[in-house]
Amino acid sequence: MKITATKNPDFRHLRAYAFDPSLSLQIDTAKINRITYMIDWEDLHPGPCGEYVEVIDYDPTIGRFYTPVDLNDRPILADNGLRPSVSNPQFHQQMVYAVAMVTIQNFERALGRKIIWSPRLTNDDNYEEYVPKLRIHPHALREANAFYSPYRKALLFGYFNSTPANNVIHMPNSLVFTCLSHDVISHEVTHAILDGIHREYNNPTNPDMLAFHEAFADIVALFQHFTHPEVLRHEIANTRGNLGSQNLLGKLAQELGSAIGGYGSLRDAIGQVNEATGEWQPREPNSDDYQNVTQPHERGSILVAAIFEAFLTIYESRIADLLRIATNGTGVLEEGEIHPDLANRLANEASKSAKHVLNMCIRALDYCPPVDITFGDYLRAIITADIDLMKEDAWDYRLAFIDAFRKRGIYPRTIKTLSIETLSYDAVDLSLDRSGQQLQPLFVQSKYETKFDDNSTQLIEIIIDFLQDYAKEIQYITDRKEIYEITKNYIAGSYGDSERFVKGLHHRIKVKFMHSQVFSEMTGLAFMPTYSNLGFRTAGDRNFPSFQIQNLRVVSRVGPDGQKVNHVVFSIIQKSGCRADPNGNISHFIPDSEALLNDDDFIFYGGCTLIFDLDSKELKYSINKPLLDIEELKRNNTVIDKKRVLAQQRYQYHDMALHMGEARRYFGTRASDFMFTEPFAILHQH
Amino acid sequence: MPNETITRVQIRMYRMGTGDCFVLKFFSGTKIAFKMMIDAGVWQKGKDHIEPFVKDLKKYVNNKVDVLVVTHEHMDHVLAFQRCKDLFTQGFEVKQVWMGWTEEDGDPKVEKWKKNHGEKKKALAMSAHFLDRAVNSMDFREQFNGHRYADQMLSLRDNQASVIGDFAELNTDFEQNLGVDKVYKGAMEGMRIVKEDMNVDGFRYFKPGRVIKNHPGANGLKFYVLGPPELHDTVEKEAGGPGESFEHSHNMEDHRAFSEALQMQDQAEIPSSKLPFDEKFIYTDDSEESAKIGNLELLDPWDERKQTVREKYEADTWRKIDYDWLYSSGNLALRMNSLTNNLSLALAIEFESTGQVLLFPGDAEFGSWSSWHNIDWGNEQDPNKKHLTEDLLNRTIFYKVAHHMSHNGTAERLGLDMMTDPKLTAMATLDYDVISSGWKNTMPNKFILNDLLLKTKGRLIFSNETGIPYDKQMSLTDKIAQTREKMDSTEKADFESNFKSDPNGLFHELTIRF
Repeated sequence: MKITATKNPDFRHLRAYAFDPSLSLQIDTAKINRITYMIDWEDLHPGPCGEYVEVIDYDPTIGRFYTPVDLNDRPILADNGLRPSVSNPQFHQQMVYAVAMVTIQNFERALGRKIIWSPRLTNDDNYEEYVPKLRIHPHALREANAFYSPYRKALLFGYFNSTPANNVIHMPNSLVFTCLSHDVISHEVTHAILDGIHREYNNPTNPDMLAFHEAFADIVALFQHFTHPEVLRHEIANTRGNLGSQNLLGKLAQELGSAIGGYGSLRDAIGQVNEATGEWQPREPNSDDYQNVTQPHERGSILVAAIFEAFLTIYESRIADLLRIATNGTGVLEEGEIHPDLANRLANEASKSAKHVLNMCIRALDYCPPVDITFGDYLRAIITADIDLMKEDAWDYRLAFIDAFRKRGIYPRTIKTLSIETLSYDAVDLSLDRSGQQLQPLFVQSKYETKFDDNSTQLIEIIIDFLQDYAKEIQYITDRKEIYEITKNYIAGSYGDSERFVKGLHHRIKVKFMHSQVFSEMTGLAFMPTYSNLGFRTAGDRNFPSFQIQNLRVVSRVGPDGQKVNHVVFSIIQKSGCRADPNGNISHFIPDSEALLNDDDFIFYGGCTLIFDLDSKELKYSINKPLLDIEELKRNNTVIDKKRVLAQQRYQYHDMALHMGEARRYFGTRASDFMFTEPFAILHQH
Repeated sequence: MPNETITRVQIRMYRMGTGDCFVLKFFSGTKIAFKMMIDAGVWQKGKDHIEPFVKDLKKYVNNKVDVLVVTHEHMDHVLAFQRCKDLFTQGFEVKQVWMGWTEEDGDPKVEKWKKNHGEKKKALAMSAHFLDRAVNSMDFREQFNGHRYADQMLSLRDNQASVIGDFAELNTDFEQNLGVDKVYKGAMEGMRIVKEDMNVDGFRYFKPGRVIKNHPGANGLKFYVLGPPELHDTVEKEAGGPGESFEHSHNMEDHRAFSEALQMQDQAEIPSSKLPFDEKFIYTDDSEESAKIGNLELLDPWDERKQTVREKYEADTWRKIDYDWLYSSGNLALRMNSLTNNLSLALAIEFESTGQVLLFPGDAEFGSWSSWHNIDWGNEQDPNKKHLTEDLLNRTIFYKVAHHMSHNGTAERLGLDMMTDPKLTAMATLDYDVISSGWKNTMPNKFILNDLLLKTKGRLIFSNETGIPYDKQMSLTDKIAQTREKMDSTEKADFESNFKSDPNGLFHELTIRF
């Protein structure tokens, strides 16, 4: 450790556009377009290059580098960074850095752990390689597009000539830079972060997958704006008389996204300006939307609209008292300007609500299945994650979410009624505190009413002990690479201090549950050697179906009412080679690599997220997307989950082609190839 | 000769491959009254392949046509003129050439637009060229070394580049407009030959809403001009909203910045006016050196800061982004393609006595189809009746399927849904043996195919069905045969007597009587 004479400051202050440069040209918005971000201090090299990101300003379209900004340069440091300027690429570098870091910090605070980028998959024995820094190229394309490249672990931003609908805002023919838009930057960084957490999510196995990636990125961009009360205060203070603040925020949300290209398009679902009255009004949700809307962007906008509505409901209930006070209970404000204190309080409540919603949305990621997510799964994850952290839901946040989703026809297909209780994942409830009743076999009900015998219970206990070691070891480590290495070793095994090979989680699960029907039932995955004829690649000499462990992580959070969450989470993923004939009969092949020989072959994905509570030493949740038909499994029949196989086949071979734009049809043929292209580049070209 | 009303037409579809070449021979009794030729193109074939068709065509029309329609400037509609230039310029007479108003050289509005359009074409040709060069370079392949899925990534990118290359060729006539180092020469060679070298008595350029009556020889025929739309912004609208067409899409974007960058490739010096930023921001070796020296004294020898940004960039091959931007041309290619398709001269040919209509829309896409319904037909339009366009579609008994039955070639609500005549027969110029690689993914479009099969009861004729699957179990040939079973005995007999194919495989021919 380096000891320095002077302590580094806590924060680095950096100026940026709060939205994008076009707002600075309009007198009424210029004021709110200036923002100074507070970013946790880190040592920066010219670029800026820091611990998480490196801005490499190479413009391949002219083969030139732009001189990198040195944010430690004294004049720059003393002035909170360069002043916003369209014509100075160094400011562009500063802005992408600042917004990227703000986004990363929001995630780290909500998740309670370090962000790690998705590793690079290699063709050597290591299988993957740690990627310390996300690359950001502020000037990489000449088109109205920006994308995250999962292959390069990089963000590529484009610039283009404006073709203004409104000559007042954009000078015709002037260059427009996507890297100067807060929304575009945070949107793309979110794609990268999400890829680091759930790397199978850019594999379109159902119509929600790509829509989810887009919608989630937009949600983060949107609520990140609203966490800054300055922006809201200005707007609130400008409203006279009618504090229909709902509409105000909705209109604002939409305007914020509309400046560049299609980035605001997801938000059009929130509402529109009524042409007759000139007032903005929310769009009435339609319960058929989720059924009928299939194009990824439009489908994503349903999710954005649902979450935005939940936010408005929460905000409304939080400010109800303020409005009563301010209007003496009449609900009607007096003429004239709003009292600045009131504007402040309202803005703070909106900002607080936005922070809460953003945190709920981010935390839910830990409760999502590792593959094949649907919006319904996400809703369940939001509710479950929130219950874990907050026993009491004083403001009815959860109801607000459920209600907004329900109105749009989004609910998980597996539950029969819609309520907080049914939506939250059932705890596996496998109590391991067996004092005094050791001889009593434990028959505890899980979600699928799997009977846990004593043996399985003990096996799980052993796994939990191992996970506890992991949690202890990782607890105080702040170096991200070290976190990555330790985690990898805990999964794959490693040589400990004594030169003795310590077996990893993967091996332990394999050995412990090798013949465990119980574990298969709980995860919906194949843990029996005899299952190998269902299209599983097998590993080792015992024909054991191979599986992958991803995303081992410690989730350690403290809720606002002091409730502690102390979990270890990991996901198991398994693949099966499938083909289905037109009559729905399924046959299998063993997938040797991702290259599919036959056009009808596809890889069917199953996965399970297991959440262990370290304090109570129990396996708390098993959130699965089964490969095997669990009902049949209980009757001792080992068959593939036919419904899911056929659903994936129908989507990838039929529906997807119809939902995606023409570019997909001309350039990429198969769904299974999607992740080998630049998936997000294509998505954004709509 | 007057009053010799037309009673019969033979529609001949030459089977060169994916691409249009039609001859309509109109008879009055047994006498040939009027000969009309529509397009002569095919995807990417040489003279050897095309010549037999052209020779047969010349023989069929006796070296003379009354009207030659060139719908639009795409290779699959004009290539034969170029490949068989001699056959078309010698011993071949054309009384009139008909084209869309956007082809009228000399019209200042057209000229201005064409210049802009030409820039885009050039950009497309150049980007396809650079992309091709890139994917064949070692650098490009090295980017993927060491990755678990390197092969898949490479092959997808290769494929994408070749599809873009195909689009460039279709739109820009690669051979002569290779863009790079050369000046954009303008029109495709086939188009130029029609305009300049062929033996033509006169040219006519049509705007929508125009009705051609009493054309010499064409007694009892009326030609309604549906497209190209009059406004360029309509031309640029490729597709409508949901329910409006089989596909909904976007508007043309500006590609100037992209085009400009392409023109600067391979140039060592870039004029400062062409840089996106002031020259002082360009990183030079000087600044690199000084940055290094300036920092060195403060640093540990292994400190990262010693590495300049350039060194960081050069260090990891897999992260380099030198070629990624060229893939923006994919967007440009698709848009250029749709735009030119919408410039198609779209004609409805009506037999006055029966009111029956032959529809030849070229490759018109949604923007054009939708504009037809807003045409001011003037005196032709009975204000008390439905819009004439809809009426014409209702009466259509023959449809030349636009754009080889692609997704956006035929409008749904404003097109196919209105073709309600039970006698409908359709021809589609699709051939999987002679086609651009990317097209197979989108042609034939399943919706349009099913709809047309249903409406025509299987009187749906392809240039070549071989190798086109209907679905997993059935070939298109079998499906068509199966559908034809739905015709009643009279319909069947009619179809069998009116449809014939050349034993040498040169053409399909359909006779329609009035």
